Order: sequence, then C-alpha cells, then structure tokens
Amino acid sequence: MKIHYITGVGALFVVALHILMRLVVPYASSLEYGYVVSNYHNFLYAVALESILVLIAVHGFNGLRIILLELRQSPLWENGVTVATIIAMIALILYGTRTIIIANGIGL
Amino acid sequence: MKSLEFKNTRENREGLRGWLDPFRYGWERFSYWAQRLTGIFLLIYFIGHVYETSSIVSGKDAWNTMLELTQTTWGHLFLILVIGTSTFHSVNGIRLILTEAGKGLGKPSRPDYPYHPSSLNRRQRSGIWIALTLAAVAMLYGTNILLSGD
Repeated sequence: MKIHYITGVGALFVVALHILMRLVVPYASSLEYGYVVSNYHNFLYAVALESILVLIAVHGFNGLRIILLELRQSPLWENGVTVATIIAMIALILYGTRTIIIANGIGL
Repeated sequence: MKSLEFKNTRENREGLRGWLDPFRYGWERFSYWAQRLTGIFLLIYFIGHVYETSSIVSGKDAWNTMLELTQTTWGHLFLILVIGTSTFHSVNGIRLILTEAGKGLGKPSRPDYPYHPSSLNRRQRSGIWIALTLAAVAMLYGTNILLSGD
C-alpha cells in the first residue's frame, strides 16, 4: 500500500497546481488553444504534467488492481490482473507522454 | 499425512454483492465502497482526459471540437461530478492514510455487547462527514465557475 499512499499524496499537490493554472485566468480563456499551448511550452509546467500523468496512472491502476484482487483470489487471477494493469498503466503513460512531448514543441 | 494445500472455494464469499452493501457495518462501509467507486470513476475520467487533451497536437480546430463536448449541460454536470468525487476521494484518502498510521483509532477496549467497534469512533465518523461536506462545497464552487465562466 505504500506506493498507493505516496502516489496519492504526491498527485494531490501536482493536481492542485494543475487546477490553479486554470483558475489564475478566467475559466473560459484558460481553455483557449493559445493559452493551453503556452502552458505546454513552459518546461516546468510540462514536467508537472508528466508527473501528474505518472502519479495518477500508477495510483489509479494500482487501485483498480487492489479492488479486483479483493473481489477474487486465485494465482491465475492475481497474476493476470497485475500484468494487465501494468500494461494498461504503461500504455496510458506512453500515450500521455507523447502528447506532452509534441505539445511542448520538441516534436514540432 | 494429508498435505496442506490451498483450496480455492467459493464458501463465505459474497463478491460484488457483499462489497456494495452499504447498510452493513455503518458509515465505515459506506466510506469503503464510496472510496472504491469514486476511484474507478476517476480512473475512467483520467483515461478520457488524457485522450481528450491529446487533441491539442492536432491543431486548434481539433482542440475546439473536443472542447465542445464538455461545453454542454451534460458536460458541465459530468465535470461537477468529477470535482465532487475527486474531493471526496482525496479527503477520505487522507483519513485512511492517517488511520493506517494509527491516528484517530482510539484505545483498544474489551468487546462488550452490543459490540460497537471502538475503532469506528467520533473522529473517524467526523472524517467521513468532513470529506462529504468538502465534496459538496467543491461542487458548489465548481458549479459557480462553470456557469459563470469566471
């Protein structure tokens, strides 16, 4: 459970920063294409987004794994659930990282 | 001698039905499944959010088209639900971390009839109520921002 608590508390701080970035300007303009792209071009903010992605992906899929293991127990089920959640977690992190890298300007 | 081996039986296992029963074991059981249901909901939202924001790399038109999905009444209601569930999940999660660290559990006591668990005390119940109250406040604040656009 230690990884679940660490990622949960860590995500709380970076998500608060993410929400603050939406609230420092009027909500409607915070979602305008130009403003969002300028957010991605800020390297430190891009790092914060990447950390949100990793922390919540690990927390979320580990949480799903815990729920599924509570519902049913057998060696096949437990190994299958663990492998499936790790694969889904890695796929989501890779997909989100691709967006951050391209939007940050490295891939443009 | 008969060897001891693990036998996977279905005896005493209620599965999802037992997991979702909110009326057994009081508020702690409610908090137990609310934490899990909000967690699953937020994971689904997070996957959708990662997909939604990926439209930024396809240009302004793709971004605006994707954004329009959330700029409807149902879109706003969904986002308000996300605000409420994420606040509850966070605050209740902090309560659970503190509980696992032994905070707010009270002193162990002798099990006397009618066997109220000493661990589910006023401090624990307050934690659940604080999580629910803060979730409601966050939803009101979110509703105000979403409707006013400020």
